[in-house]
Parts: sequence; C-alpha cells; structure tokens
Amino acid sequence: MNKRTCTAIAAVLTATFALGAAGCSGGKPAAGGKNGGKNPAAANVGASIGGTPVKGGTLTVLSNQDFTHLDPARNWVMSDMDFGTRLLYRTLVTYKAAPGTQGGQLVPDLATDLGTPSNGAKTWTFHLKQGVKYEDGSPVTAQDVKYNVERSFSPDLPGGSDYAARYLAGADGYQGPAQGKHLDSVQTPDDHTIVFELRKPFAEFPNATVMPTFAPVPQSQDKGPQFDNRPFSSGPYKVDSYDRGKKLVLVRNDKWDPKTDEVRKAYPDKLVVVMGLKANQIDDRMIASQGADASAVPWFALRPESAAKVLPSAEVRSRLLAESQNCTDMVQMHTGRAPFDDVKVRQAVQYALDKDAVLTASGGPAFNDLSTSYMPASLFGGKQPDTLKISASGDVEKAKQLLKEAGKPDGFSTRITVSAGDKGRAEAIQQSLGKAGIKVTIETVDPSAFYATIGDTKNRTDMVYTGWCPDYPSGSTFLPFVFDGRYIKEKGNSGNHSLFRDEATMKRMDEIAAMTDTKQAAQAWQQLDGDILAKAPTVPVLTRRWPLVLGTNIAGAYGHNSFGGQLDYATVGLKDPAKSQG
Amino acid sequence: MILYIGRRLLGVIGVLIAIAAVTFTIFYVLPSDPAAAACGKSCSVERLAAIRTHMGLDQPLWRQFADFVTGIFTGRTMGSGQYTLHCAFPCFGYSYENSQPVWDLLMDRLPVSASLAVGAAVLWLLLGLSAGVTAALRKDTVTDRVLMVGAVAAASLPVYFTSMMLIYGLIRTAGLLPYPQYVPFGHDPLHWASNLLLPWLALAVLYAAMYARQSRSSMIETMAEPYIRTARAKGLPRRTVVVKHGLRAGMTPILTIFGMDLGGLLAGAVITESIFGLPGIGRLFYGALSTGDQPVVLGVTLLAATFIVVANLAVDLLYAVVDPRVRY
Amino acid sequence: MTALSPSAPAVPAGSGPWQLARAELRRRASVKISLAVVALFLLMAAGAPLLSSLGGWSPEEFDKSAVDPYLGGQPIGPLGGISADHWLGVEPVTGRDLFARVVHGAQVSLLIALTATAIVVLAGTAAGIAAGYFGGRTDAALSRLMDVTMSFPSLIFMIAMMSVAKDVNRVLLMTAVIGLFGWPGVARVVRGQTLSLKHREYVDAARVGGSGPWRILTRDILPGVSGPVIAYTTLIIPGMIATEAALSYLGVGVRPPTPSWGQMIAESVAFYDTDPMYFVIPSTCLFLTVLAFTLLGDALRDVLDPRSGRA
Repeated sequence: MNKRTCTAIAAVLTATFALGAAGCSGGKPAAGGKNGGKNPAAANVGASIGGTPVKGGTLTVLSNQDFTHLDPARNWVMSDMDFGTRLLYRTLVTYKAAPGTQGGQLVPDLATDLGTPSNGAKTWTFHLKQGVKYEDGSPVTAQDVKYNVERSFSPDLPGGSDYAARYLAGADGYQGPAQGKHLDSVQTPDDHTIVFELRKPFAEFPNATVMPTFAPVPQSQDKGPQFDNRPFSSGPYKVDSYDRGKKLVLVRNDKWDPKTDEVRKAYPDKLVVVMGLKANQIDDRMIASQGADASAVPWFALRPESAAKVLPSAEVRSRLLAESQNCTDMVQMHTGRAPFDDVKVRQAVQYALDKDAVLTASGGPAFNDLSTSYMPASLFGGKQPDTLKISASGDVEKAKQLLKEAGKPDGFSTRITVSAGDKGRAEAIQQSLGKAGIKVTIETVDPSAFYATIGDTKNRTDMVYTGWCPDYPSGSTFLPFVFDGRYIKEKGNSGNHSLFRDEATMKRMDEIAAMTDTKQAAQAWQQLDGDILAKAPTVPVLTRRWPLVLGTNIAGAYGHNSFGGQLDYATVGLKDPAKSQG
Repeated sequence: MILYIGRRLLGVIGVLIAIAAVTFTIFYVLPSDPAAAACGKSCSVERLAAIRTHMGLDQPLWRQFADFVTGIFTGRTMGSGQYTLHCAFPCFGYSYENSQPVWDLLMDRLPVSASLAVGAAVLWLLLGLSAGVTAALRKDTVTDRVLMVGAVAAASLPVYFTSMMLIYGLIRTAGLLPYPQYVPFGHDPLHWASNLLLPWLALAVLYAAMYARQSRSSMIETMAEPYIRTARAKGLPRRTVVVKHGLRAGMTPILTIFGMDLGGLLAGAVITESIFGLPGIGRLFYGALSTGDQPVVLGVTLLAATFIVVANLAVDLLYAVVDPRVRY
Repeated sequence: MTALSPSAPAVPAGSGPWQLARAELRRRASVKISLAVVALFLLMAAGAPLLSSLGGWSPEEFDKSAVDPYLGGQPIGPLGGISADHWLGVEPVTGRDLFARVVHGAQVSLLIALTATAIVVLAGTAAGIAAGYFGGRTDAALSRLMDVTMSFPSLIFMIAMMSVAKDVNRVLLMTAVIGLFGWPGVARVVRGQTLSLKHREYVDAARVGGSGPWRILTRDILPGVSGPVIAYTTLIIPGMIATEAALSYLGVGVRPPTPSWGQMIAESVAFYDTDPMYFVIPSTCLFLTVLAFTLLGDALRDVLDPRSGRA
C-alpha cells in the first residue's frame, strides 16, 4: 500500500474542486503545533467511539465519489480495499479489527493460520477453513483464490495491486487465464490447500495476502470487466443494487457464517452508500447530524475548510476520528539532472521550504504533523528525529547562501508537478521557494493521470510532490522503495521519484536487508534515514491524518491503522438501529 | 412540409457527425493516454501494450472513428481475449472507468438532468413570463420599473452565488429543505420535488430574469402592431386582445430562446449539478473528463449536441403552429 | 430598464445620429452609474500593480500571521480579517491579501472577457457581412458553419478543451476558446442587417457609380451595421465575463497562483459560512461588473438599434 494508492483517493475527490486533503499519514500526535499543547483533533486517536453497536438498522455512508474498483482483482485504493475486504469478500489473511497499533497485526481469514513457509520462505502454503460459503451457498475453494490471482494479470482487468506479479515465480509475461493458461507457481493440491512458489525468499509474504488479489472469485461467476459492478460475495454482505456514481446498497449475505470469521462483526442489516454528493455538504450534514444523518458516516476525510466548524465544538470533536495515515509527503527533486544534481541546490530547497505554510494549506496542525525525517513516526517508535534542525518555517538566508555556493546567486526557475488535490500545498511551496529566488511553476495533473505523468522520467518536471507509505511497520517497505536507484524505471517509475542513485546508500540497504536481528535492522534503517536526509534527494514535508466526523448514532467506530485511518467497516454499527431509516 | 422535415433531419445528422469528428480528434490526438491511466500504478511496458490493444487504441485514428460511428448504428463487439463484450445498438462504447456501456450511463443520468431542467423551466417560464407581460402592460409605471430593475439584477447574479445563498438561507438557517439528494420521480414524487426545489430555484432565478426582460420587450413591440390596434378598435375586450392576439405573437421570439435553453440544460447544467451534488449528466461529464474517460466524454458531448439541434428543429417546426405567417 | 421615454428631447437641428445618441444616453441616470462602475473596474484592472502596491501586498504573498492554522486557516479578526493592513481582509489558509487579489483578478477576468469579445465581434462582423453581402455559396457555407458552431454544447466543449490542453498560456487559450463559440451570434445579427442594407438605394447608387465591393463594404455597409453591433457587443460582454468565471469556477481556468474572480469564487465557496466575506467580495465584484455592462448594453441598444429585439 504505497502512497500511490492513497493519493489515488485524493485524486478522485479533487474532481469536485476540493482543496483536498488526502493521502496517508500515521503515528502518534507529533509535536507539530507551535503551542506545544495537545492536538484538539487527536483526542480519539487509538480509541473506538460510540461503545458497542447493537445489531440491525441501516448504516448510511455519504460519499462524494464512486469506488474506483470493487472487483477484488482490481481494487488497490486504500479505502476501497477496506470496504471490499471488510464487507464483500474475504482474503487469505487480513488485519485484526482493532483500533490503534493493534490494527497492524495479521489474523487468518479464509486461511486457518498465517501460512506455512518452507524451502527457505520461497514456498508458502495456506489451508482454507471449512464451511466458508459464497452468497449462493456454494463453498469457497482454493481454486477460486488461485483463479482471482490469475485474473489479476489480465489486461482487461487493470488497476489491481502488483504483489502477485512481483513475487510469484514464472509470472513474467503471463496475461491471465484466457485460453486456459494457468500459473504453475500457484498450486491447489486439494480444494482447501493453496501453495505459492515465489521467485525469491520472502519472509513477509503473509502481509501481501491481505490484498484483495487474494480473495476468491469462482470462474463461473467471472464476468470480466462487468464483475466490478457486481462482485460476488464471500463476506457478510452482498450487493443488492449498484447504480454507478449514485448509490450502492448492501444487504446481509445469509450464507456467511460468523463462526468462520473472527474479524467481521456485521452489525447493521443494511449499508447504503450515497455517492456523488458535494463534499462540503457532507461535512455540514455530518456536523449537524440531524435525523437520518445521525446514522451516517462520511466516506472521505473532512475538508480542511470545515475545520473551523469542527474544532471549536467539544460535542463535534467527540465524534471526530483523526488517525494518522502513516505516509510522508515529500518534495522530490530530479537528482539526475541540473540543477538538482548539485547537492547544494537541493539543500537550498530543504532550507527554503516553509513547511508551516504547507501544513496550513493542508488543514493545519490539527489534521497534519510536520515531518523531519523520511520514515513516518511509527517506524521511529512514535517520534521522528530532527537531525537537520531547520526551522519549520524555513531559513531563507541559509538557502540563499547555499545557492550562492552552488553558483546560482540569482536563483533559477523550475517546475513542480502535483496532483490536482495538492494545489493549495503546491502554492505554499511555490511561495516559500520564491523567497529564496527559486521560481516555481505549478503543473497540476488530474489524480488519475498523476502517476503516469511523474513516472515518465524523461519528460517529467524537475520537482514532484508525492509521498510514500510503508506497507507494514518495517523500514524495508519504505527506504528501498523510495531511495534505491536500482528500482528506477524510465517509464512507469514509482517510489523513487528523486531518481536517487547513491552507491553507498544502496550498499547499506543490502546490508540491512540481510540482517537477521530485527531490532538491529530497525535501528540501522533509522540511521540510514538520517544519512540520506543529509544528501537531500527529497524534502520530507508532512504526515496527514484522516479526519472523519461521525453521526451521533454511530458506534464501534475507529480509524484503522492499516487502512490509512479509514473507518474499519468490519466493526462499525449503530447505537440504536430503530433510529436509522431504511 | 415533410420534405422540409426530411431535409432538416439530414442536416441534423450531418451536424452531429461533424461534432463527433471534432470531439474525437480533440480527445484522441491530445497527449493523454487512457491506457496508462487505466493501468495506473507501476505499470509494466508489456501490460500497457496489452491494455492498449484491448482498448483498441493501437488502431489508426480514422479507423477508431469509423468503428465508433458504425458501432452507434449496428452495435459492435469489444474487447479481446477472454472477455469480449457485445455492445448493442445504440453503442457508444464502454466507459474506461467503470466498464459500463456509455449509453446506459447516459440514460441512467438523464432523468436527473431532465428533472432539473424541466422543473426549473416550468418555474422560470411562470415567473419570467408573468413578470415580463405584467411589466409590458404597465409600461413606464412603478411596477414596470421595480420588476425590470429586479430582473436585471437577478440576471447579473452568478448562479453559484444564488445557490449558496439559497443553501444558506433555506437549508442551513431555516432548515426548511433537505440537502439536495436525487430521489427518482417514480420512487417518491414528493421527495423528488422537495429535493430538487432548491436547484430549480437557483436556475430559475437566473433564467426568469432573462425571460422577463425578453418577454417584456417582445410584448411591447407586439402591442404596438397595427393589428392589435385594430383589434382594440373593434372593441374586443382588453383581456382577449392581450391573451389571444398579443401573447401569441409576442411569445414567438421567446420560443426560440426557450428551445435553445432547454436543449442546452437537458444535457446537464454542469455548475448547478456540481454545486448541489446532483448526479446528472453534467457531473458525469465532469467526472469523465477528469479521469480521462473518453468514451463517456464523447457520449455526453454527442447527447448534448443532439438536444441542441433537435430543440432547434422543434422550435422551427413549432413556429409554423404558433405563428400563422410562417409556412414551409 | 429598457423603458424609452417617448418625449424626445429638444436637440439642436442638424445634429447627426451619433450626437443624437449621445444626447439620449446622457439623459439616463442608469447609464451614468453603469459607466462609472465600468470605468472604475477598468481602471482597477489597468492599475492593478499600482493599486496593490498601495495596499502593500502582492497578490501572491502569503501572510501567515493573518490566519489561524489551528482553525483550518481561518483569518484572524472580524469580517474575514479586514484591517488597516488588509483592506478587504485575507484569503483563508494562505493569508493572501484579498484586495490585491481582487484587483489583479479584475485584470485577468476583464482582459479575457474583453479580448474574447473583440475576437467575437471582429470575426462575427466579418463573417456576417461576407455572408450577407456576397450571398450564394459564401452565404451557404458560412451559414452552415454558424449552424454547426451553434449546435456545439459550448460550455461542455470549453471545459473539455481547457482541461485537456496542458502546456499553453491559459489566458490566451481561454480567450480563444471563449471567442471560438461566440462569433455566430454576432454574425447572424450582422448578416441580417447587411441583407437589408444591400439593396438600399444608396448602396445601389454606389454600385452603379463603379465602387468595388471592398469600398462598398467599408464605406456603405459597415457604418450601417455598426449601431446594432455596438449594442450587441456591450450586451455580450457580461456573458463573456460570466463564462470566464464559470470556467475558472470549474477549475479549468487560469493557473495558480494567478487570481481571477471565478477562481476566487470557486475557492471561496467552501468558506461561504465560515468566512462569508471571502465569498461575498469577489461575488460582488462580478455581480456589479455584469450588472453595469448589462445596463449599458440595454441603453445602447435602445438608442442605437431601437428596432431589434434581443438576440
């Protein structure tokens, strides 16, 4: 779950002209505020609000957008994965349904355990539980899981995660199960056993099997691209009706057996997702929480503009979730060509940037935390170190001096590409760099085209604003993705958008990856983070939260750490089902 | 008459094909790559090529256009490999974004835009024409002045301003109406109307103002015509003169404008729909545009153009009915 | 306000039609007021850099001290932060000076609207005269082109063109795109007028007298159509301003951080209840300008082209 997934969400929203907070952030309330006081938005962090729900009623979800994909082979947007895997389909392994850091733990879902490695973690075997059924009562089989993994390779079904393609042996050039071609690296010795052969040892493979790619789809139900409009359910709910862009209604799947499922609570009888609403109207409705809206939750994060209506009211604050998304937003510079091939110029940007202004543009310290290192606070045991000690509002004099040393006393002109939702942040960057003589032109790109645009390393701008989120709490899912020069692709490049290629860094990464002592490795990653920061390929800016104001009748609600702070749909329900409107 | 209609219909089809060609060229020539957008995150070169083939983007442009146009009339089979889709008449292709037939999407959203347009049209005709005719009949009185000052002011108000004021006044402060959320007419007519009242008002204020101004000047002109004077001289009651003779001729120019306005609005009031969050054709278009969903963009453009040309045609034909001087 | 007082004022004998028109216009209060408003905004647009330097802020300069980051960037102080320092308050979140932005926004909005109008009028007049005067094939071809252009769902098309074009000057592109769909309206008016003038005695006389078509067009036809064209022009300016605002409102207008009224209104809608001044100020400017041009256009039409109904 990299930043890409997170921002994809942001992208869709910005279509509705939001200043758009989206993305990913995480961890504890950091010392971002000038007042040093407690963050008024973070009172419910790590907690569940509303008590235990009562079974029944209708939960309404108010949304300004449609889902990108609900087809499990194509679902790779953080919130959509939450919704899909918590309500409609089950995966081999999933995240524990719990607030706070416990949400990072894996628990078996379709499988009986977290998988058994053999052959030095190159072969992984999962056994499926007995008695798991689809909405038509037919049993879920290992072949169905294999089939969905295979169909995720089909060019007709783009958009899904590339974990299977990255890890499975013999996956190169495979184009899906058309014409009866199958993947030999996934074996199903019987209906309830599935074996994956990987290209290289991968001890963290169970972490990948939480992806919807590893949900079951029976071949008889596969309708290709149309499956997206009506996924076949193995979870507690099934699709009753789905009007794309307008409304999705989920009703109970009677064939789902709670005894086989320790994660999903399935409190409401019915879920109605109303889409295409205006974002600020959703905020206003949630704040007012009148009538049927008391039993509603918002799909997307609160707009920063609405903060002034939420934060002053203790009552509304008591219904506010604001988990960190655990991702670091960065200004990334093209280290491969002038002027950013000069470390002094990059450091000048590091010093000139007014992170405080970007933070304000992002909704202020209540909904964001400043970043002083690359890896989010969760990988530093809760607090990021500040090795450079640059003032949060920048140091223009130092920046000018660095530019002079770099032979550019008059500054220079450059361009930055941002996703449309980050326009406000980009203007803050533009403004602060301008003070040091760096004239920045902003190129806004629609979120849907953003990654394709910045992934084209030849034609892209010298600066981009994007981020990265660790897939699970390990430095190995952050630094190598963002700073290993060997991962750079000419087109479709992702992660390493600074095109940073530093021999010492790559050598050190290989050494740390080979460490067996996880504690030692964690410390080594933290050390390396600071070493890279000194070379300034990117400037870490901030970590976002995912603020949600819930209706007054909502219970069992918390932002899930592993889903970027999105509401955990496995446990949410109503205090009083009678108050909801069906 | 039939010959005339036939000729006009041919013209309509010609215009539509021209518009389709222009739209097609603009979106397919410009450097946006729907395959890359669909492929999304970390897309390998081979996978991108496969997707491009699947979408038919590897074909030359003229070929894609020819396929598109013939597809509308004959339907066509799309896709490759394992999943082929037959897209039946009238086939406008499939959305890249959610794999639904564009035609279905359009028909799904049309009721929303149509409800908005028709409801607003009724309101603005009632308000605008009555204000305009009243003002015309009381030319140069205080009533006339007040009405016309009001109209020119209302016509100058940006629709987003009116909308936000309405939302603030009627929803936020007074709590009289719900936040608009489309309810199908067949589902619950009362909710349909109460949810749409605000958008209707917002649109109607703007148009009513324009119609008041137009109908006033048109009425004044008509009432000065010799035949009206004759009718009055004959001793016909004033009411008869105004309603039977004055209105009929005076409203003819309004008809042209009304046809154009309604035709344009049926295909989506982009701004109003986006302010009120109504899932109409305008939103569909805007969403498709921002995600590079070209088949949908093309479909909406064609639908909108169709409404406009058909409305023009209808107006011209109605002219013959309303205005006895017009013959074909 | 289209009321024309029937009692004609006493005008000195022998004054030409333009003098008559001027005298008539001078009598109307609405004309004076709207002229003043138009002049005010034009001056504001032209002197934008000067005015904003008087205020002490550039339109793109952030003022972090004017907003409260803990409240989502709300301006500090009443009425959206209106103070001696910021005359019209500040933009929430960034703290940019609203006065400077409104003034510069006027520049962008009016520049686009007026240039687009000029394009529309020039192209429309040329096409209209050509179609009306030459008739035949020229007329058929031009009329067909007008039909097709008018059948385009113009707003939808403008949005599309603005959003797909990337590396171009936004102001230029917007002007061109708005102009592209406006000309047939003028062309129709001019064509009709030309047709009626074409066979007037004085035109026939010029033709018989051996004048070439170019001379006839410029000397005899053009002055004849100029009255209605001027009136029509003034009446389409509000539409142009509103179109620019609509495009910017939909987020396909000028590039940040350049301000335009539409873009400012679009961003301020989200704050309409938490910072109403931010929403009201650019909306009022837009409203006043559109109103003033409409009133002016009404008056001009009554005077210069008393017979034509609204197009």
